Parts: sequence; structure tokens; C-alpha cells
Amino acid sequence: MTTATAAVQTSENPGGPSANAASARLVTKAYGSGETRVTALDAVDVDIQRGRFTAIMGPSGSGKSTLMHCLAGLDTVTEGRIWIGDTEITGLKDKQLTKLRRDKIGFIFQSFNLLPTLNALENITLPMDIAGRKADQAWLEQVVETVGLADRLKHRPTQLSGGQQQRVAVARALAARPEIIFGDEPTGNLDSRSGSEVLTFLRRSVDELAQTIVMVTHDPVAAGYADRVLFLADGVIVDEMHAPTADSVLERMRRFDGKRTS
Amino acid sequence: MLLKLSLRSFLAHKGRMVLSLIAVVLSVAFVSGTLVFSNTATATFDKLFASTASDVAVQPKTDKLSAGQDQGGKTPVIPAGQVAEVAAQPGVKSATGEVMVENATLVNPATNKSVGPTSGAPTLVGAWTPTPGNPLTITSGQAPRDSSQIMLDADTAKKAKLGLGSPLRVITTIGSYDFTVSGIATFTTTNPGAAMAFTDVPTAQRDLLGSADFTSIETYGDGSRSNDQLKAEIASAVGGGFDVKTAAEQKSDGSKNLGFLDFMKYAMLGFAGISLLVGGFLIINTFSMLVAQRTREIGLMRAIGSSRRQVNQSVLIEALALGVLGSTLGLLAGLGLAEILIALMKSLGMNLQGALQIGWTVPVAAYAIGIVITVLAAWIPARRAGKISPMAALRDHGTPSEARANTIRAILGLVLTAGGGGLLVLAATAKKAATGGSYLGLGVLLTLVGFVVLGPLLSTGVIRVLGALLPALFGPSGKLAQRNAMRNPRRTGATAAALMIGLSLVTGASVVTSSMVSSATAQIDKSVGADYIVTSRTGGMSPAIVQAASGASGLAHITEQKILPANITTPDGKTTETQVDASSPTFVDDLHLPVTAGSPQAAFSGGISVDQTFAKDHNLSIGDKLAIDYGKGRTQSVPVALITTEGNSLSDHSFNTSIATVTEAVPAADQPLPVLLLGKAAPGADVEKSLSSLQDALTAYPQLSVKDQAGYKQIIQSQVDQLLYMVYGLLGLAIAVAVLGVVNTLALSVVERTREIGLLRAIGLSRRQLRRMIRLESVVIALFGALLGTGLGLAWGISSQKVLATQGLDTLTVPVGTIVVILLLSALVGLGAALLPAFRAGRMNVLAAIATD
Ligand SMILES: Nc1ncnc2c1ncn2[C@@H]1O[C@H](COP(=O)(O)OP(=O)(O)OP(=O)(O)O)[C@@H](O)[C@H]1O
Ligand SMILES: [Mg+2]
Repeated sequence: MTTATAAVQTSENPGGPSANAASARLVTKAYGSGETRVTALDAVDVDIQRGRFTAIMGPSGSGKSTLMHCLAGLDTVTEGRIWIGDTEITGLKDKQLTKLRRDKIGFIFQSFNLLPTLNALENITLPMDIAGRKADQAWLEQVVETVGLADRLKHRPTQLSGGQQQRVAVARALAARPEIIFGDEPTGNLDSRSGSEVLTFLRRSVDELAQTIVMVTHDPVAAGYADRVLFLADGVIVDEMHAPTADSVLERMRRFDGKRTS
Repeated sequence: MLLKLSLRSFLAHKGRMVLSLIAVVLSVAFVSGTLVFSNTATATFDKLFASTASDVAVQPKTDKLSAGQDQGGKTPVIPAGQVAEVAAQPGVKSATGEVMVENATLVNPATNKSVGPTSGAPTLVGAWTPTPGNPLTITSGQAPRDSSQIMLDADTAKKAKLGLGSPLRVITTIGSYDFTVSGIATFTTTNPGAAMAFTDVPTAQRDLLGSADFTSIETYGDGSRSNDQLKAEIASAVGGGFDVKTAAEQKSDGSKNLGFLDFMKYAMLGFAGISLLVGGFLIINTFSMLVAQRTREIGLMRAIGSSRRQVNQSVLIEALALGVLGSTLGLLAGLGLAEILIALMKSLGMNLQGALQIGWTVPVAAYAIGIVITVLAAWIPARRAGKISPMAALRDHGTPSEARANTIRAILGLVLTAGGGGLLVLAATAKKAATGGSYLGLGVLLTLVGFVVLGPLLSTGVIRVLGALLPALFGPSGKLAQRNAMRNPRRTGATAAALMIGLSLVTGASVVTSSMVSSATAQIDKSVGADYIVTSRTGGMSPAIVQAASGASGLAHITEQKILPANITTPDGKTTETQVDASSPTFVDDLHLPVTAGSPQAAFSGGISVDQTFAKDHNLSIGDKLAIDYGKGRTQSVPVALITTEGNSLSDHSFNTSIATVTEAVPAADQPLPVLLLGKAAPGADVEKSLSSLQDALTAYPQLSVKDQAGYKQIIQSQVDQLLYMVYGLLGLAIAVAVLGVVNTLALSVVERTREIGLLRAIGLSRRQLRRMIRLESVVIALFGALLGTGLGLAWGISSQKVLATQGLDTLTVPVGTIVVILLLSALVGLGAALLPAFRAGRMNVLAAIATD
């Protein structure tokens, strides 16, 4: 306990407190042991800059979800250190991690984002309810307005389309004003129109609200909305790209596939 | 293929089946345990009776009216001369005169306390005669040799901490006699629970019978004749004044007294039935949830071509597997339960030795019950599974939300409940207890089924109200808990119904019993004028006792009451088998008989009282003559002098007359001893002081209980309490199964909501909040069941009281304290039931939860 607290206080975020919303240093994540050992992440160094939209791409099984889960404090790392803001989260207890997630992190999953027993509005305010905080009413209205759900707030998730559900999830992630939002293929289940609605919205929240977002995706078009794309292969960050477009990402992916097969 | 799929699915979900399995096991164990126990008990007693029966026994003649009566405190006897007569018959190897009485009391002089069973089993004192049928052998010391020695059975000696050389007093209707224990004898067969003591033959005859006679002659043949031939010869030798019985007849006589075993058996089977019913709900829920969880899988199967029937059958096959496994384990557990029951009986003094008697009926019953209940309970979920459309495979939602509870359910439930409620009201207002009773029975059944049907509908409304406070009190956990409890009305309804059944029975029983106590107390206040009540645990009250009581200071009088079996023939020609209560004339001061017509004084001076119902049934009015037959040719004709008002448990069904009137037909010496003494303090005397003076006067008779009115009320209370505790204890089983149901529902819900829980945890719900959410959901469901249960139980209890009002249950008491305790306990039950599921949910790995498909 004391050592963990000490670590929190003494270990500065290597990228500097103002610049990075999250950082990872030499993070290794291995599953199993001996013969069946799988190294999902291999000594990864990452810095997620504040107020930017970062996309993570890579072939299936490359460790994208694992990296995101580790960064968000949902999973423990085998080796290495991770910071959210100025707080080192490696070594934190479940209680502290829960509090951290509640206060500083928002999530958007690929599917099953909402509680079926709560209506849209209740789902949106749930993180604040849980934390025992009052929602900032003006901000809430603005968020709801932006996602275009004002007339759907009383609906249960089952009464909403997949795209609408996903937008509720985005609104939930934004409403609590977390320091960082993680999305694991948030548009993976959506058609291109609904997908682009959600992505446009995420983009706007970065531009207009200075929100920090990390998104795992397989879709070059989705990655095109980001400020920066990290390419992961076999648990290692092999490349990165700034100000990507769908085409440049696709191009990069092709090269990448070619390299892999060669 | 189908079978393989079903079995594989059964094995895959074995964790989720565990609690259903326990429910089946418990129910089956209870049924088979009861059957094995009663088989074993019957077999051991049969063996006991077979081994103690002589080839032919000669006993004093008993007819219905004088059966078991000790005339004038004396046990009926056979003159000693008859022994030689019987022994002289051809084919008789030996004929032994035996002495054995039931009306003696054993007292430890050191403590002045009764020695022997308190469970109602008899204390038998007699002469030691080592015939082949003697069920005891001497294990220490020696047989009694002179008038100062006595031998005691080992179980009683151990319980009373008596040994060789200990003093032991025998109080008979003749006198008190002191002995020293010279030997201890142990039962070679089953000890039926009785205490037994033996003196030598002359002492037994002198102290127990007051004459050199015997109470029976046990005869053994030399093998040259059958028992029936022997019986015929002996019967003609001894004449018509005696009963002559073969071994077989003695055995069936003995078995007749085992009615209490049947009672136990049916009572326990009744409770097994309740737990079976409750277990049924649990199984319904389990299979409903399994089907719900597998909606997509089943949809896929339908999409690739499985027929409805195949899906339906695959669920039923799983149920069958559960039923077979549950029955097998239940059968084994039942054997254990039987052993426990036997040990329990042993601790009550009844030693059931020998191997468990299983027979073929027990396994057949166990499997039939276990399998039928499981398959039946799985029927509805199986049908539902069959109805799942192939579309379900394509739909994506975490848990399929249930179709709105349909209108058919609402109408059916309302009709049943309203019908049942109407019947309960009819029952409460019925004029006749008998018709009221049948309305009541039907009403109870209909309201119960009605509530079970309505449960899911009620749950939404009631939980909305119950749970309204939760969000305010417990924040987000409370809100989520309330929503979770409401999201699946059918499941919540079934879970609560299981709890409801047990609690409604408990509540109903406690309303009836507390009304019993308050009615009896009110009646005592209203009609008992006597200050003191003396009763005896063994035998009647000898003249010496009556004399001692009368000698106490500060008493106005002592009233004796004797009870004589009699046949009463009314002028309409009908004969009623009943008993006549004969008392001293001072009885009218001790019990204020409620008068409809006539006067109590007249009834105690040459007349008799009848109750209102009897008078109405037989069209009697004052002055009509009753022909009373006391047996043995003793008859008399007595005019009705009092008709008592109905609704007083102390005078209903009683025929009161004076001892003097009875003496005109039955000589005083042949009357039974009084069974009850009533005393009244002298005017101006200190009631407390007179009580202690009466107690002091009777201190030599520890078999007596001397109480004032308050003490008497306490006795009634404690008798009723005993009944109630038994009911509570047995219903505890039903409630335990219901608790399993709550645990089951929650545990399965937690599994079912894995992703939801993962999501909640990911967005910051702490473990504590999560656990609280599950606990609150559990408490809400439990309270919902408890509310329904206590409501239903109250309706039943009140209606029963109204039905029995004319039977003396005229004061309604609602045990508010008990009901509050039941509600609080239910909340605790809810908390307890949530422990494990909440723990499991807390331990759930967030990532695994999110990743689950
Ligand atoms: N719980 C686990 N146990 C063992 N191995 C695991 C576990 N979770 C992930 N892995 C392995 O770790 C590696 C990275 O998995 P991860 O889920 O991060 O991939 P991904 O990049 O998200 O793939 P996708 O694009 O298919 O979602 C894979 O090889 C996977 O098999
Ligand atoms: Mg992934």
C-alpha cells in the first residue's frame, strides 16, 4: 500500500503531465506460461497526447484490445508501467482503479454498451450516478443535442437502433467529461452512415471540447478521422502516421500486409 | 444426436443446475426418509410385538366402554386360581401369571421428581417373570427377591441417573412404597419408550393390585397344537369372563396403538409435499433462465432446421437427467434422514434397532416423485423454448426481455383470487363450521393458486412501490437493484411464490394458534371460577390424593371430576358414543356453564347437561330423558336439565352431571378415579397462600401438577406453542427450499448478466456498490414474497378463526409481533441469499465479463 502510494507520488509521467493523457513504458503482456505462452504486447512504449484523437490499427490478434485494456486499467500488465495523467496505475488496487475509471475514463465498446433496464438518459448519466456526482445540466444538454438524441431520451436500449445505441454510449462517455475516452471498435457494428455519424461526433468532441480519445479500429475510413494512427503487429508498435486519411491508411495497411506475408 | 446435445448441455450447465438439484434432492430425501423411517419403525415394532407375544394370553375382559378403564383405581385382574386351570390344559407347556399396571408412578425420593418418560409413553410397573416373551435381560445386579427390592430398565435408570442401590418410590392408587434398586435390566429388542420397573410377584400383587391376582396369564404350548386350537381349549376352560388371544391377535392389538407413527408419517409427507411444490418453482426458474440464456443458440438450431418438438424435447431430456440424478441422491440422503429420525426418536426414549427397511416402494416413490416433479416443472420452459423463432439467432440483445405478462394470466389470476377470496368470506360468514370448513379449504387453495398466477403481475407494481425508496436510500445501487427486480416479472414472481407458500402457512398457523391461546385464556377468565387446577401425569387421583387436597388450608372446596365412557341414546332413537363428565356439585362454582335453557344446579342434582348443537341435532329440550349405558349392563335414564350455549370450549361436547347421579348406575367402587381436581379459595383467604398450602399438601405426589389460573393459562400457552414450534420447524424446510430458490435466481441472474456487470464495473461501479445492488435486489424479492405470504396467511388465518368461532375459537388475535419478525427475517433471508451470488459477482473479472459473448 505504502509503496504503491509512494510510486504514485514520485513517478512522474515520463511524457510530462500536461502533454500526455496516458503513457505506457516497456509494457509487456503475456498470457499463459511455458509452451502455451502468448506475448500479446511486447515492450510497448506509447504516449497518448492530450486533446487528440488517436487510432490504433493492426491485424487481428496483434494486441490492439489488449493494449487498450491495459491503458484503461481494465487489465494488469506483466511488465512495464502505465500512467493515466499523472497517476501511475500499474500496481493500483481494484478499489483505486475503479475510482480512476469512474472519474477519469470513459468507455465505448463495440456492442452491449447499455444497461437494458435503464432508459437512454439514465444510461448517459449512469457513470455520474455511480460516482455520486451531479450531472452538469448545461453540458448534458449540449452533449445530448450534439448526438441528436433529444427526442429519444426516454427510450430503452431495445427500442433504439444499433447506431442510436452507439450514440448513447458516446454521449455517456462524454457526459462525465473524462480525461480520456477509450473505444474498442466503436463503429464496428454500424453501417457506414451510422458509423460516420458517430465518428464525426467523436471528431467534433476532440476539436471543440478538447476531448482525448483512443480508438481501436479495423476500418481505414474510421482511422481517417483520427489525428494519429498507431500500427500494431504481433504486440509491437511497428509504425505511426500523423494526419491520416482513409486512403493513406489503406495504402499503409497494404504495405503492411505485404510485408507480413513476405 | 438430440440426446447427445441435451446431455452435453446438461453437463455444460451443471453449475447452474446445482441448486435445482438440491431442491429435488431435499424433497425426494424427505419423502423417502419418511417412508424408510416409518417402514423401519413399523418393522421393529412388529418384531417387538411378535417376540413378546406368548402363544396364547388370557386377559381380563374389555369391552368398548370399559376398555382401559381402571375401575375404582383398580386394574382389572384374573383370579390366581385360573393359572392352574390354564396350565392343566392339554398341549400347554407353561402358563405364567403376570402382573403389569400402567397407573403407577415412579419417583426418585432424593429429588421427589417423577422418573420415566414425559413424552406420553407409559410407565409400566409389574412383577419380574422370566418368560420367553420378556423383552428384557438382567444386565447388572439381580432380580428382585423380597419386598424391598425393585429392578429398573437400563434406559430409564440412565436418564434418571439411578443405579444399583438407589432408592426408588412407587406411588400407586393404593399407596406409596419405597424400594431399593437391586438390578438393571436391558431391552433385548426395541425399547418402545416406556419406563419399566419390576418387583417380585407377591410384592407386585400386594402393592399394585391389592390382591393376590394376576393381570394376565401368558401361555406357551408344547408344539402339539396350533395356537388357535390352544386358544379354543383355554377359552372353554376359563369361561366367558376373559379375553383369550393368540400370538397373532396380541400382535395386531399392539400395532393398533401405533397410530402416532401414521400421524407422523402423514404430517411429514405433507411437509414433503410443500417442499416439493416450492422446489417445483425453483426448477421452473432454472429452466426458464437456461432457455432464456440459450435463446440465440436455440434460434440457431431452429434456423438450421431443428423442429419445435426437437427443441422442446431437448429441454425435457435435460430435466429428465436432473430428475434421475436428483432422485438418486435424494434416495441416498433419505436413508441418512431416516437414520437421523431414528436417532431423534432414540433421544426421546424410543429405541428403534435393526437395519433400515427400504423395500421396493421407497425407490419407486423416490424416482417417481423426483422425475415427475422435475419434468413437470420444466414443461413450461420447454414449451417456451420450442416457441423461440429462428429470428432469435439474429437478434442481439443481452438478455431477452420478457414478453409483457399477458392478459390471460391477469384474468385467470384475478378470477382465481377473487373466487378464492369470495370463498374465504363465505367461510367466515358461514353458519355451520362444517360448511365453513370446506369453503375455507377450497378458498385457501384458490387464493394460493391465484396469487401464484398473479405473482408476476403484482411484482411489477409492488416492487415499484417497495423499491421506490431504494434509489433515494442507496443511490445508483438501489436504482439498479429495483430495475433488476422488475425486469423479469415471471422470474421474480416464481422466486417470490416459493417463499410465499411457506410464509403464508406460517402466518396462517400463527394467527390460528394465537387466537387459540387468546380464546382459551378469555374463556378461562370468563367461565372458570376455580382458583386451582390439579391434574395428574400418570393414572387417576387416588382417594389419598383427594383427601390430602381437601385437607389444605384456606380452601372453600375441592371438586372431583371423573370421566366415564358411555353410550347415550336420545329419544330420537340415535345412540352416540361419548363420555360423561361426572363431578361434585361444587363444579357449578368452578366452571360457569353458559346457559341456553335450564340451570346448572339442576344438572348437578339428578339431571345432565348437553350442548346446544347436540340438543339441536337430536331435538332435545329440558326434561327429555337420555338413556345412558356405561357398559357391563349398567344403565340409567337421566333428564336433560341444562342446555349449554355453544362456543365455549370448556363446555362444548360435554355431558356434565354429578357423581351422585352416576353412582345410581355405577357403584362408587367401580367408578374410575377422578382425573381432575378443581379448588376454590375460601372467601377472604389469600389466594397465593392457599395455593402454596395446596401444593404443600400434595408434595408427596410429584406426578401431579397443581396450578392456579395463571399457571393453567401458561400450560395451555405452552401446549399451543409446542404445536406451533413443530409447525415452524417443519415449515422451515419449505422456507429453506424457497431460500435456495432466491439464491438460485440471483446466482443465475448474475451469470446471465455477466456482460452487464462487466460494463458497470468498467464505467466505475465499485465492488461494494455491485454487491449492494445484488443484495438489495434479493431483499426486494424476498420482501415481495413475504408481503404476499403474510397477506395471504392473514386472510387464511382470519377466515379460519371465523370458521372455528363457534367451536370456541371466538377471539381473534393477530400476532403482530410474529408478523413483523417474519417480515424482518425475510429481509435477512434476502440478505443471506445474496451473499454467495454477490460474492461471485464481485469476483468477476471485468475483462472476462466484457469479452463474454
Ligand atoms: N485471455 C487471454 N488468454 C490468452 N490469450 C489471449 C487472451 N486475450 C488475448 N489473447 C491473445 O493475445 C493476443 C492479442 O489479442 P487481442 O485481443 O489484443 O487482439 P486484437 O488486436 O484486439 O484482435 P482483434 O482485432 O481480433 O480484436 C492474441 O494472440 C490473443 O490470442
Ligand atoms: Mg480486439
